[in-house]
Amino acid sequence: MSQKKILLVEDNEFNRKIVRDLLARQPYDLLEAHDGEAGVVAARRDKPDVIVMDVQLPKLSGLDATRAIRAEPETAKIPIIVVTSFALSGDDKKAMDAGASAYLAKPYSPRQLLDTIRRMAGDA
Amino acid sequence: MPGNEVGILDGPAATPPAATGLSDRTARLLLIYTPLGRLVRAVARMRSSVHFKLLAAFLLVALLVAVMGAISLEIMSRMSRQSEAMHHAHHRVTSARQAQHALALQMNYTAMALILRDEATIGSILKENNRLNTMLAQIEDAAPAEEREAIQRIRSAQGDVMATVADVANLVRDGKVEQAMQLQLKSGYPLFQQVEGLVEQVVRIEEGNMDRQRDATALANRHAFYLMGGLVIASLMLALLLGFVTSWSFILPVREAQRFLGRVAKGDFSTTVTVDNRDEFGDLAAQMNRMSAELNRLYEEQQAAARQLEMVNTQLARASQAKSEFLANMSHELRTPMNAILGFTEMILDDIYGEVPPDIRGPIQDVRTCGQQLLRLINDVLDLSKIEAGRMELSLTDYSVQEVVETARTSLRSLAAEKGLEFVADVAPDLPLAYGDGKRITQCLTNLVGNALKFTKQGRVEIGARLDGDCVVYRVTDTGIGIPADQLDQIFGEFRQVDASISREFGGTGLGLSITKTFVELHGGRIWVESEPGRGSTFRFAIPLRVAEATEAA
Repeated sequence: MSQKKILLVEDNEFNRKIVRDLLARQPYDLLEAHDGEAGVVAARRDKPDVIVMDVQLPKLSGLDATRAIRAEPETAKIPIIVVTSFALSGDDKKAMDAGASAYLAKPYSPRQLLDTIRRMAGDA
Repeated sequence: MPGNEVGILDGPAATPPAATGLSDRTARLLLIYTPLGRLVRAVARMRSSVHFKLLAAFLLVALLVAVMGAISLEIMSRMSRQSEAMHHAHHRVTSARQAQHALALQMNYTAMALILRDEATIGSILKENNRLNTMLAQIEDAAPAEEREAIQRIRSAQGDVMATVADVANLVRDGKVEQAMQLQLKSGYPLFQQVEGLVEQVVRIEEGNMDRQRDATALANRHAFYLMGGLVIASLMLALLLGFVTSWSFILPVREAQRFLGRVAKGDFSTTVTVDNRDEFGDLAAQMNRMSAELNRLYEEQQAAARQLEMVNTQLARASQAKSEFLANMSHELRTPMNAILGFTEMILDDIYGEVPPDIRGPIQDVRTCGQQLLRLINDVLDLSKIEAGRMELSLTDYSVQEVVETARTSLRSLAAEKGLEFVADVAPDLPLAYGDGKRITQCLTNLVGNALKFTKQGRVEIGARLDGDCVVYRVTDTGIGIPADQLDQIFGEFRQVDASISREFGGTGLGLSITKTFVELHGGRIWVESEPGRGSTFRFAIPLRVAEATEAA
């Protein structure tokens, strides 16, 4: 049985590396996308088990990408963890309205992110 | 002429009240199709007051009544004169007839004297002769020339008659009856006939006069009737005309004013009112035009101000939007590297990259502590920027007071433990679910507890929360350095710490309390402090249990 796939949609290399390093010794395959559009394409193509979605992304914002993924029947059920920069009040509500399954504010603790991924993947 | 007045008098706004409908329509037709319209405007244009115009109209009617009275008096006196003349003429006719009668009797007595031959009968002849003369004298006074001539001729003929009668009488007295009869037949009788003809002529003249007088009286009566009738009709017409013209010269401007005010009431301030009147109504119209011009000026000024305000608003909104976007971007730009710094530090300390050598662990922990401190500063500065920009909004949901206290305690427990301080929470157990921005309230409490821990070297820090009426009162008590009384009311200002040495010793930006106060006030609550230098401080803030939605907007 193959490992569960985690799709990370994040434009900052260092933040991608955190997740990469965090999941290196975990039983997950990490897929990466650098912008919102690529994230939607990857979700459709690879059918990941969990998606970690940054909000501020080039081309298509994380919230719009979340909505697009939710709109397609094939990808609609995939758990999505939305990560925001907590810029303005109500970001959590916006994330939930867009269809997020969970929500984390930057800066997040890698431990906390890992817990959330596990919970979403049904491994916790 | 009808053309321009149709405009004045027609149109929906001119619709008069239903009660005056018919007469009003008639009046309008009269104003349009007869010269009355021109007359009404002429009266309106008269440069005199309404008072004067009304007075003039009433005086004219009164004058008319006076003239009618005078004329009827004149007619009455004329008719009385006519009737007197009639009476006079009748009297004269009677006198003429009596003269005729006296003459007939004279002739009769003369004939009787010839038969009876007595002195009494002869005396009767003289008596009748006298009566004839008296009657003629009565008529002669006011007789016309022709009649007077006839009377003169009667007198001279009567003289002859009386001479003959005297002769006849003497002959009778002498017994010469035959001779007397001859004389009477030959000269007396023809003379009588001559006089009788003349008297008859006088009678006819008098009767003719009386007939003429009667005709003249009848004619005068007819004239008087027509004159009076005409005068009455003319007076009525003139009174109606005056009433019509005067009243419409006032009604028209009032209607105009009414329509004008209707337009103004509908918000058309550029409208004007035009009336022909040069009286009080004209003044009123001029005043109304000034009013509407002033209203229009104010309206345009207000419009211009509104446009300017809108422009400024748009600019402000754009600026505010730009500021918000900048804040959002800055927040993102600052947090992204912070996320990496804190994330990597945590993973290193979690031994994700292999076990950390003991001598490296300390400096890495310092990096983490400083990173967290930097993050708090960033958060404070961003919060303050949002507050300054007026963009700070509460996100209102149900929250649990216990959870707020617990979160604040958990996040600072390690710091308290490091400093060896007693750290306790005392929350009333039966607090109901609260409504507000739980995250911001947690932030407030964390700020206060953080300060308390920072400024307390030994002893304890206590967090409390209890319900007081409709408010939840949070309390943070410490046994720290305290605040001098003269500084108590300044510590909630921005960048305030008790003095510069404090910031050197304890660090911090001095933003925490200012931000806390803002959040408390955004919730409609208040914050206050009691402190004794050297003994410690107690900060309290009260927040409505259920924050009203309106508070959020304020």
